[in-house]
Amino acid sequence: MLDLTTSVIRNLDLGHGNYLIEFGVPDSIQQMKPAQFFMIGTPGSEPLLRRPYSVCGLNGTFPDNQRGTAQVLYKVYGKGTRLLSGLGKGAELQVLGPLGNGFDLPDTGRRALLVAGGIGSAPFPLFIRHLAEAGHPAPRMIYGARSQGDLPLLSWFRDSCEEVLLTTDDGSAGEAGRVTQPLERLLEQGEGERLHLYVCGPDPMLKAVARLASRFDVPCDLALEAPMACGFGVCLGCVVPVHGDDGEVRFERVCVDGPVMPAQRMAW
Amino acid sequence: MVDLSVELGPLKLKNPVLTASGTFGYGLEFEPFFDLGSLGGIVSKGLSPRPRHGNPPQRIAETPAGMLNTIGLQNVGVDAFLSEKLPKLEHYDMAVLANVFGETEAEYVEVCKKLDGAPGLAGIELNVSCPNVECGGIAFGNDPRALASVTAACRKATGLPLLVKLSPNVTDIRETARAAEDAGADALSLVNTFVGMAIDVEARRPVLNRVSGGLSGPAIRPLAVHMTWQTYNAVKIPLMGMGGITCARDALEFILAGASAVQVGTSNFVTPTSAADLVNELRDYLEQHGFESVRELVGSLQVES
Repeated sequence: MLDLTTSVIRNLDLGHGNYLIEFGVPDSIQQMKPAQFFMIGTPGSEPLLRRPYSVCGLNGTFPDNQRGTAQVLYKVYGKGTRLLSGLGKGAELQVLGPLGNGFDLPDTGRRALLVAGGIGSAPFPLFIRHLAEAGHPAPRMIYGARSQGDLPLLSWFRDSCEEVLLTTDDGSAGEAGRVTQPLERLLEQGEGERLHLYVCGPDPMLKAVARLASRFDVPCDLALEAPMACGFGVCLGCVVPVHGDDGEVRFERVCVDGPVMPAQRMAW
Repeated sequence: MVDLSVELGPLKLKNPVLTASGTFGYGLEFEPFFDLGSLGGIVSKGLSPRPRHGNPPQRIAETPAGMLNTIGLQNVGVDAFLSEKLPKLEHYDMAVLANVFGETEAEYVEVCKKLDGAPGLAGIELNVSCPNVECGGIAFGNDPRALASVTAACRKATGLPLLVKLSPNVTDIRETARAAEDAGADALSLVNTFVGMAIDVEARRPVLNRVSGGLSGPAIRPLAVHMTWQTYNAVKIPLMGMGGITCARDALEFILAGASAVQVGTSNFVTPTSAADLVNELRDYLEQHGFESVRELVGSLQVES
């Protein structure tokens, strides 16, 4: 775990409030697993707390990356992300990481199916690269959002996945409705036996996908998000209820016990 | 070489910088960031007789220059602290203080008795902001009589240096400060968090699951410095000051107002090396200003009469 003072290399405006920020990192950070995250602070005393951001890319994830960099995909949502979006080349960043556990590759005989909700697609570019490096076939992806503008990096995902099924709440791209619709059809066709679901997005989506995974008995890993003050296990602000091995429900920390948790452990 | 050592009654510290309860885990979580032995001491997460799961989320909310929390005193319990945490801290040259709370006076006493004589433990800090279930849920620290009673009971239960961590959620902190002093506290820690609330106006709901929480961070610093100054002029026992300290200049405000030592809290979340950095900054300040000892500065505030 490093606490780096680094600087912005570029901060790409992807439109509709979505940005991809790139900053310099030392070699040790290049070992990060997909869905691990950084706590990033911007200069100045406001906001007080750093914000958690999933690692999106490292060396070689995107074709035009500079070496020795990391990328973070984010959407302007509140004070912290708005400040981040205003930073240009050379601006200073305080970056703590790598944090959390990250996605593991699927077991032999299973293929990754990525399920992303809007900006929840952030951890998947690095995961797709990891799958390719480990000799796995390109995964399929179900990518849902409110509207067509809320599907950042869509063309990159289309180039990098075997297939991308789109859903939007307003029907402006792909199927009108939720990611659970195409997912349920796939699982009803019996594909669940050969799949491992990797899911990131808003909590209601995670819950709905987890229910389907449970109904069809498919392994399912969720990359969770929660408000957190520290990112390394001490503030206890980011807990979620989970079923312990003893069957009892307890609180675990998204930052160090997650952010990836098996869906069947969640006690929502 | 400047002298950073301080004494708070029987508690001797090699420097006046500690970390506040609830912001530093059990200390071990910070081992990747710096040598814990560079600190004057640490204060553990609040310990209860048995482990506690804490409150359901959402537990924290950021507010201007601060944060609200309602963690709900989640902790491993005093037994696990003694068997799993404390032994791993023993080799560091710094003071480990155990923060203690209970829902009844008997629970405070039970924890203090278990901690008494534990190898490597330098003292006990009582968290009196916990609701007293035997007195209608009013926090021990908001009622001078209940505060005096629990302090006296813990005083009998342990020979360790005993600090009482005062709540700022009172009309006049000097009353509770005197009550703790008269009941046998060796020193006072001040202040705990201020009760606060944040509302999501879109959802028209409280941001925190438990509606209200404790406010910490730079937002409370002027309030805490004021209370330190008030208390310094009201009691004879030494003080440990805290509330929004992020750097040596913040810490010096408390020291000038009468604190013999300080605790760094919320800042540990933002910059994990905060407390260790502060020790160095404080040494630099003393050297640059020609002081031989930090003790010269305690309560040395010049006030025009």
